[in-house]
Amino acid sequence: MKRTGILFFPAFDWSLGDSHPEREERLLYTQEQLFEEGILDLPQIKQFSPRVAAIKDVLRAQALFPHPGTHLETLDPHLISAGSSLLLGEAQVKGDIHNGFVMARPPGHHSGATVWGNRGFCSLNNEGMLVNYLRAQFGIKRIAIVDTDVHHGDGTQDIFYHDPNVLFISLHQDGRTLFPGTGFVHEKGGPNAWDQTLNIPLPPGTGDEGYHYVLENWVLPRLQAFAPEMIINSAGQDNHFTDPLASMNLTAGGYGRITELLQPDLAVLEGGYSIEGALPYVNLAILLALAGEDYHHVREPQKQKRSSLTLTALKPYIQELQKQQQAAKQKFSIQNKAHFPKGNWFYSPHSVYYDTEGFQETRHDYIRECSHCGGTVYIESRRYTQKSILVRIPFQACPSCEQGGYDLWEHIQQSREDIISGLLQNQLQDRYYVWTKKEGLREY
Amino acid sequence: MNNRVGIDVGGTYTDAVFFKNGRIQHTAKVPTESENLVETLMNAFDTLNISDEQEINQITVSTTLVTNAILQNRIPPVELLLFSGHGMKIDALPWPVNYTELTGEMDFRGREIEAPNQQEWESLPLSAAQANRSHVAIVGKFSHRNSLHEEQLAGFLKERHPSLRIALGHEWGQANFYRRSLTTYLNLGVSELYQQFAQNLQNALRARKIQAPIFILKADGGNLPLAKIRPIDSIYSGPAASVLAALTQIEPDSSSIIVDIGGTTTDIGLILSGVPLLSSKGAKIGGFSTLVRSLAVRSIPVGGDSVVRSNDQNDRGFIIEPYRLGAAYCLGGKAPTPTDAMRYLGLIDYGNLQLVEEGLANLLSPEQRTPQFLQELATGIIDRVVDRIIEAVGSLKREWEDEPAYKVWQVLHPHESKEFNTLVSGGGARGIATALGKRLKTSVRLGAFPEVSNALGAALARPTFDCTLHLDTYMKHYRVEETGEQGKWTGSLRPHREVEGFLETLVQKQAAHYDIQLQDMEKEPFDFFPIVQNYQTVGQIVRGAVHMRPGVIGRVRE
Repeated sequence: MKRTGILFFPAFDWSLGDSHPEREERLLYTQEQLFEEGILDLPQIKQFSPRVAAIKDVLRAQALFPHPGTHLETLDPHLISAGSSLLLGEAQVKGDIHNGFVMARPPGHHSGATVWGNRGFCSLNNEGMLVNYLRAQFGIKRIAIVDTDVHHGDGTQDIFYHDPNVLFISLHQDGRTLFPGTGFVHEKGGPNAWDQTLNIPLPPGTGDEGYHYVLENWVLPRLQAFAPEMIINSAGQDNHFTDPLASMNLTAGGYGRITELLQPDLAVLEGGYSIEGALPYVNLAILLALAGEDYHHVREPQKQKRSSLTLTALKPYIQELQKQQQAAKQKFSIQNKAHFPKGNWFYSPHSVYYDTEGFQETRHDYIRECSHCGGTVYIESRRYTQKSILVRIPFQACPSCEQGGYDLWEHIQQSREDIISGLLQNQLQDRYYVWTKKEGLREY
Repeated sequence: MNNRVGIDVGGTYTDAVFFKNGRIQHTAKVPTESENLVETLMNAFDTLNISDEQEINQITVSTTLVTNAILQNRIPPVELLLFSGHGMKIDALPWPVNYTELTGEMDFRGREIEAPNQQEWESLPLSAAQANRSHVAIVGKFSHRNSLHEEQLAGFLKERHPSLRIALGHEWGQANFYRRSLTTYLNLGVSELYQQFAQNLQNALRARKIQAPIFILKADGGNLPLAKIRPIDSIYSGPAASVLAALTQIEPDSSSIIVDIGGTTTDIGLILSGVPLLSSKGAKIGGFSTLVRSLAVRSIPVGGDSVVRSNDQNDRGFIIEPYRLGAAYCLGGKAPTPTDAMRYLGLIDYGNLQLVEEGLANLLSPEQRTPQFLQELATGIIDRVVDRIIEAVGSLKREWEDEPAYKVWQVLHPHESKEFNTLVSGGGARGIATALGKRLKTSVRLGAFPEVSNALGAALARPTFDCTLHLDTYMKHYRVEETGEQGKWTGSLRPHREVEGFLETLVQKQAAHYDIQLQDMEKEPFDFFPIVQNYQTVGQIVRGAVHMRPGVIGRVRE
């Protein structure tokens, strides 16, 4: 029997604030609905209990700045949510389950390669940690992530932007109309991973029909061409027509169909804040679709009030978008610093806004040009006056890029610069070192 | 005070004990006449030969009445009417009975999504002639949040067919529409049979001038007065009794693996710090998944009399069959059994040694019939029995360790690992105790009173009690899971202390209704869910519960 795993972790004792959308109540009605339906009595459904991820699991995908110790007090729920993804992903890879749904909170897809705090309700990136865990532990090489949350999955994009072996596709409400304001078609990946990021910004008012059209005509062909070993769906549920934070028009049944089209090996819950009008029904439809059961009988009680964009109106928009996407060219400049190991280093600056606490992170990313591997990554990250460094030796790094990483790591520890801390993210050897000016070196 | 009688009705024999002053005073064993259980019970009772029957304080009966009625399909048909609403398709799950779906839907807060359609009710297939003797179970999805539709339909039917026997699903107040439907169906189906039994038993005891209250043992290891128990709760009381029997023999608060080796089945249970492990899901019986709380017990089809046959398909060269052909070979039976292996290895001292060798040799090819091979074979058989038990113990422990956690606190504070002892009872206990202890890496004790241990468990049983409150202050509605009680909440929108007092009142009321004494109550911390609309907190959902876990009233001295 093809089994479907479910890991339901509603974190009933945790919230980001009394009336915050990310609060205790968020999955309460989902629990009521799933349990009342008797979904756990379906013979193919297997329930798993959560586990806590280790800091090493975080560092494999993300740098905690200035150092992990500064985050520990607030990380517990995030580590459980991420650990739950790891656990179910492992079960899938080992063949215990055919597919699975990590229905856990808090979400994670706004949390990027460098983390100074919580943004967009996310502190740790569940899918990012999962993908790198499966690569490090089980030798999986090619993974695709399809993010169907209404918000651009900017954190996940950031983690894999320079990674040629991870295809990241995000469908979302156009960034000109919604947080986080990114995810345009010209964001196609770093110089060594060009075209491994695909952003599809959709106009407000897109409904089931339009969404499915985009999946069938754009996303699925791209997925097929990439031929991943595994597909992960960042299953945010805020495209639903009742969502209070966004303006799309999907139904629960529409989400069931998305799942049926994508056939993800693992779905991971992201956002979705219509906790009564949408979540119980969308979660149910996704789970049923994963389990190969009929989801057409699932119906949310509310009626659609907003009118949806017709397919006739949407089609030309999408075709134009596709043209723009194909036409977008690389615009990276080369900036070789004195201490950089030999080779050409592409420069990519950007800044990240942390909306939860209200501060800005300034990033200077440098990537070693390489035709053999993803290339060494060197990131300078600044919050106010604090400056921390991430050095990444990527999975399947070539010898030059591996050596380049060690040289950079050596340099920052002796540097007279204002660097206060750093992370050597050696994905190749699966070893992670944190260095701080005050306390020196520590391996995780 | 604690002079108690326990009677356990088994498939073949019915056992009874009279327990007084911490000791077993009398025991009895009589054949079970499944056609007349009351007579069997009275026969067992009389055989106890209690000189002063007036000093009995309580009688607890563990009976297979309901279990057998269900398994042998001896329940009258029940018309099952469902307000199934939207969601998962109803036939995604296997229904062992027919049902009729009706219009009408509630949501998870108990709000009406769609009203019922009276025209459908008019044309229900309940002809007047049938209706006079008909049983009707009415169950709605989310009726545990709002019973309105169930009550409306019941009122409608009662008016037209006053003699209908109607049961409503919301009285099983836990979530799970599917199980609630089947539980309501079964409980109604067995209710007349049970009431008849209860009446007859009561009459028979009263005819002997015995005034002691009669209790019935439940699947969760607790007992309740004869007139208060919901009949379906009495299924699987046998395995529960055997776990209780173990409780009477181990240190309070200790943790034990309980292994009860019978003729063809072995029951395995777990006691954690003095409390038997409850199954995380409701009991299943004969194709019905129910909401009946039961102890987590694994029954495996291996016992002292299981037939051992030679088999070339596996490395061992034999398999253990799930059935028996009479006694062990060494006791004059037809086929070799694990008991023969025990005898060969000198682990037990009964049975004919010559027969043992003959029986075991039959499993070997002629050239292998040497002491060395016989020794290997006998050891292999014992190991295989132990393997099966170990597997079941592992699966029980996993059920305990892998309990789903829904709160951060729970995940950060997992179950502490416990120091286990093992208590083995039943016919084959002595024969495998050593091998079992070695493999489980625990100390092993043999259970006392193997002949009557289930009756002893029944005798010393005490009530279990659970009261789980679900309060929605915004909807101004509260519900109690165990009784299905639903009512208006008139307190504040954000209660704190208030809700504790409210739950306490409910508990006292419920205990008075069941006519039981509460003790060792365990409180679950309340969960508070602020309900937010447009960034304003407008109320709370509060969940809380108190429990009286299964236990025994005392220890027994040998």
